[in-house]
Amino acid sequence: MTIPIVPKLLRSHLSDLAERDARIDGRGRWEGRELEVQHSILPRAEGSARVRMGDTIVLAGVKFQIMTPYPDRPNQGGLMCSAEVRPVAGRNWESGPPSPESIELGRVVDRGIRESGCIDVDSLCIIPGEKAWQVILDLFAISDDGNLFDAFALAGIVALRNATVPAERFEVGEDYQLSVSKTPIMCSYHRVGGRFVFDATAREELGGDERIHITLGDDNNVHSLQKGLKGIFSADEFTEIMDNAIERTEKLRKIVDEL
Amino acid sequence: MGGYGEVQMIDENGVRADGRGPGDIRPITIETGVVPVADGSCRMTWGTNEAIVAVYGPMEAHPRKIQRQDRAVLDVAYNMAPFSTTDRMRPGFNRRSREVSKVTQDALESVVLLELYPRSKIRISIEIVSAEAGTRCVGLTAASVALADAGIPMTDLVVSVASGKINDVVVCDLNKEEDNYGEADLPMGIMPNSGELVFLQMDGDLSQDEFKQAWKYNMDAAQEIHKLMVEALNGGDSQ
Repeated sequence: MTIPIVPKLLRSHLSDLAERDARIDGRGRWEGRELEVQHSILPRAEGSARVRMGDTIVLAGVKFQIMTPYPDRPNQGGLMCSAEVRPVAGRNWESGPPSPESIELGRVVDRGIRESGCIDVDSLCIIPGEKAWQVILDLFAISDDGNLFDAFALAGIVALRNATVPAERFEVGEDYQLSVSKTPIMCSYHRVGGRFVFDATAREELGGDERIHITLGDDNNVHSLQKGLKGIFSADEFTEIMDNAIERTEKLRKIVDEL
Repeated sequence: MGGYGEVQMIDENGVRADGRGPGDIRPITIETGVVPVADGSCRMTWGTNEAIVAVYGPMEAHPRKIQRQDRAVLDVAYNMAPFSTTDRMRPGFNRRSREVSKVTQDALESVVLLELYPRSKIRISIEIVSAEAGTRCVGLTAASVALADAGIPMTDLVVSVASGKINDVVVCDLNKEEDNYGEADLPMGIMPNSGELVFLQMDGDLSQDEFKQAWKYNMDAAQEIHKLMVEALNGGDSQ
């Protein structure tokens, strides 16, 4: 990703707005953008989702492969999660090998889903020591107007929850719905104009500082955390964010459960 | 081309397995403005193909060595998303997508008025998010709509469509099965207002008469598709 020049004017504008507790697009500090979630929209994927948050749009697709289980875990299948942000999604994204930014995106989302235990890897075993399912979740950005993390995480869990294991195509039995027992949800906060806000846009990311990502499971258990970019935050600031994340993930989980 | 007539895909009345007649194309939808952060964009579904194209620019061309003093350069990248195919497509370098990118770039450079933007670059990203058959045609057609949506001056749009041969019958717009087991494939990129070509490929086996028929099917289909493109660009979705 090319690092764009950060206009001083933008930074000072964001600070001025923060003093008045306002945001560049008129939202409240903890207010998310309008959210649209669809599932099963890609005909070639075994599970899929499209998430739109304002002008940020992402797709998630689930594919399955048959793998040989690892020798130390002969009864387990695998989960792989990768994120790709290609030049289609914005003028600062470049082609070539995966950038550190997109690798971080994929890994943070992966940890949230994996560590929540929502996918029972034991259930992915077909023949112990010989054959198991590998679930591959591919996250793909269509339009990046900030906060790809939350969009990817949400699209990812929705795609998994609507995935069918293609056993017939691989001649290992009948197709069945992938079992996803929990709904991990990520919430991301960026420091903009000196204080943390929820669901930053690209302009807020550009003129802002560090970011914090929190993934919470069904019982508000913490499954992944990540602090990104340069910046220092206090314990009090983190507590405030965590309290907000608890509230917000509950609402988002309800939306996902009702799909 | 694969099976050479082992699979029956068209009956004696000229009805294809998916119910189409020999000259019929699959259903098409076109929508613009689908990548809000881009300067122009297009989503095109064609059968169960789906392409999303974003156009950025004209913008500074860097590194400097790619700049042309008298014109703009196009930077076209065609790519298939990992979940676009039945077996997962591994992301990364791939000879097929490089070739498709190149021929698509050659086609688009033939219609864009490049000399209006010296030393600049126009980036065109073609992402196939669902592939059936004929993705290069969908990508090229959608790219020309996205360029028009971005307000980039062109001499004409480009409509790309392929005809081929299944069970010794020439048909228009091959679907996945027809593409896999068919005997020929002739994709063309047509400027609908003049009937001139900017893109042409072919593989398989066609007699001179069959070739002429396939050519005609493509020309006729181009007019039909062109209407949908213009409709989409004049606002609203096309069906």
